[in-house]
Amino acid sequence: MIRLRQYLRSGSPISPGVVVIAGLMLASAAWVAVRPVAQRDGLSFWVFARTHYQMYVPVADRWREAGGHRLDVALLSADALPRRLIASMHAGTHMADLVEIERSMASQVFSGPIDGIGLIDLTDRLHAEGLYDRFNEPSFAPWTVSGRVFGLPHDVHPVLLCYRADLVEEAGIDITSLTTWASFKEAMRAMVVDLDGDGRPDRYPLSLSETHLDQIEALLLQAGGGLFDIDGVPTLASDVNAATLAEITTWLTGPGRIAGDAPEFSASGNRLRLEGYVVCSLMSDWLTSVWESDLPQLEGKLRLMPLPAWEPGGRRTSVWGGTMIGIPKTTPDPEQAWAVAKELYLSEPLARELYERAGIISPVRALWDRGWYAAPRAYFGGQRTGRLYLEQAPDVPRRVSSPFDTIAKAGLQDVVIQLKRHAEETGVYDAAALQPVAKQLLEAAEARVRWHMNRNVFVRERSP
Amino acid sequence: MTPTLSITPRRTLAKLSAACLTYAMLAASAAIVLTPFAYLLASSLKTGEDFFGSLFLPAGEGVFGVAWGRITSANYTRLISEFDFTNNIVNSVFLASTTSILATLGAAMGGYALAMIRFPGRRFVTNLVLFALIIPAALMLAPSYQLLYFLGLLDTYTGLILPAAAPAFGVFLFRQAFLSSLPPQLLEAGRIDGCGELRLFVSIGLPLVRPMIGAFVLITYLGTWNNFIWPQIVLQSPEKLPLSVAIAQLRGVYSQDYGLLMAGTVISIAPVLVLFLLLQREFIAGLTAGAVKG
Repeated sequence: MIRLRQYLRSGSPISPGVVVIAGLMLASAAWVAVRPVAQRDGLSFWVFARTHYQMYVPVADRWREAGGHRLDVALLSADALPRRLIASMHAGTHMADLVEIERSMASQVFSGPIDGIGLIDLTDRLHAEGLYDRFNEPSFAPWTVSGRVFGLPHDVHPVLLCYRADLVEEAGIDITSLTTWASFKEAMRAMVVDLDGDGRPDRYPLSLSETHLDQIEALLLQAGGGLFDIDGVPTLASDVNAATLAEITTWLTGPGRIAGDAPEFSASGNRLRLEGYVVCSLMSDWLTSVWESDLPQLEGKLRLMPLPAWEPGGRRTSVWGGTMIGIPKTTPDPEQAWAVAKELYLSEPLARELYERAGIISPVRALWDRGWYAAPRAYFGGQRTGRLYLEQAPDVPRRVSSPFDTIAKAGLQDVVIQLKRHAEETGVYDAAALQPVAKQLLEAAEARVRWHMNRNVFVRERSP
Repeated sequence: MTPTLSITPRRTLAKLSAACLTYAMLAASAAIVLTPFAYLLASSLKTGEDFFGSLFLPAGEGVFGVAWGRITSANYTRLISEFDFTNNIVNSVFLASTTSILATLGAAMGGYALAMIRFPGRRFVTNLVLFALIIPAALMLAPSYQLLYFLGLLDTYTGLILPAAAPAFGVFLFRQAFLSSLPPQLLEAGRIDGCGELRLFVSIGLPLVRPMIGAFVLITYLGTWNNFIWPQIVLQSPEKLPLSVAIAQLRGVYSQDYGLLMAGTVISIAPVLVLFLLLQREFIAGLTAGAVKG
């Protein structure tokens, strides 16, 4: 021991720190060498959502026991999946045989020339097997590039309005009678209240801010606008976008403000929701289960209703989020992968489990009349939330997954922020007066998107 | 004597005030630095329901207004039993220690060769090392992935350790360390006494850059421990994932189990924190080595 100490203190290049780390190396190497490693075989299937993973693993086990498909389901984080997918697509190497892709990942996956997309084009198979008509048609839109479909849709994701029934009742407002955003704004202004008397409101009727881009996009889509048309042509500067953004700006600032910032998926936002800082939120079907798990304290206090429309008799829903299943081109057995994809996405037991676990309704229209969608849900005061979402499902707007989605969204974000600043600097809080400014800002943003698109030779070739 | 007597208490008071002020400022700074860690630790001990209900520990009727009964270790238990985090910890320790030892050895050998051995193309190799330093790591993801695929090293630890075994940064760092610490005359004396090149490197070269070795091992250890993107791309089997990737796997796209995430983060910080506290003197000695040289 003394010798070792002397050695370490003397001219040895090995210091005590290095000895500690070398010891850790030897001990951990021994553990790694002797531990059993699971053997994997069959089709490799990458998913990013834990709920999906937990649903698919028992199915894969059952298939294996019954001598059917051999499926190896792997859960990857939502960051890892696109990174690994893109790396292997660019490298042209084999990766998974099946992969679930979320809409926010799609713009990366669908970039480059259409022949260069690393997924198998499913269009002909879908039509030949009559599958296209069995799904809710708008659900294909995000997975379609230049008329070619690269994935089976997993969901519909209609958006409803979720409100705090306890607070609305207390205020004596019949919120279900508010069928347009104009009437909503007018009636719900009464709910902007200063609870502690410090001169600043502590409650707002709607959860929205200039940074909630997903919700703003959902509102644009509901109004008939959006970032791109179905052919992938940018439509940022459309009149409907300008009018909608001008109106939204009056919700965010000024004397008619009705929106407060309680961001989704964040601890601070959840705390504000519990405190009743916001009364209503846009809620897609998948978000119901997120709230149920993150905010159990709100059980029984929430209700759902169709979104108020932008004009009387207009669309009462929008769309937010989305997932598909695709087959990478590098799979050695595309036929088996296709068979598995169909079994998973057309399966009634899985559709039921998906609804009961995650609140998500299936895009397979034949399943929409099933009784389990009508089960009352205690979290929403016994409302039959499945039915409420299904009623709106056929009306969900179409949206595309352009490779330039990220740039367009950044442009939209800029416009919303600049428009709000303009209103505050000039003191103009009238939607009609803000509309020309919105139009001008949107035109500049669209020009930037087009500039990026024109630089890209693959997109130029792709354009109709 | 009289003036001294009258000045001493004043000086003492001034010294005391300065010390108080210094400690107060240090305590305030420490509080700012430690608050997020306190939040992290407190959050990892809360249930899902309590997470948003109180900022630190769950509020209640107990001592200090805390509901001590609602403090739970369930998040840690779940991580170990349900998510097999023990395995991920060992993976991280293995990857970080093996990479740091091999990378230090590789970098020291490379740096020694470039600094002390004259061979044809030495200047070219040195420039190549310098050039490698300026290539952004993100640019190398797809080509490295392809290379590992063709070498059959995807989903293996070798695929992670091998590319990190002789980092350009380390080679250049050791080159500079040898140039400044090892006089060529010492090597010549060694050669006259009959030392071979390996003996010269191990017995004469390495002891003179010992502080750098300690610091570089620790820097590489921490870097590998925190490495995220490359293991995320290369490793595919869940049982091989290091902690950094395993914690990221806990994050949902939209929904988060915050308690689990916080507990996972505490687990990932603790081992390196202990290691750093144990070896901090060595680490700082390495970083400041040569700082006082003329």
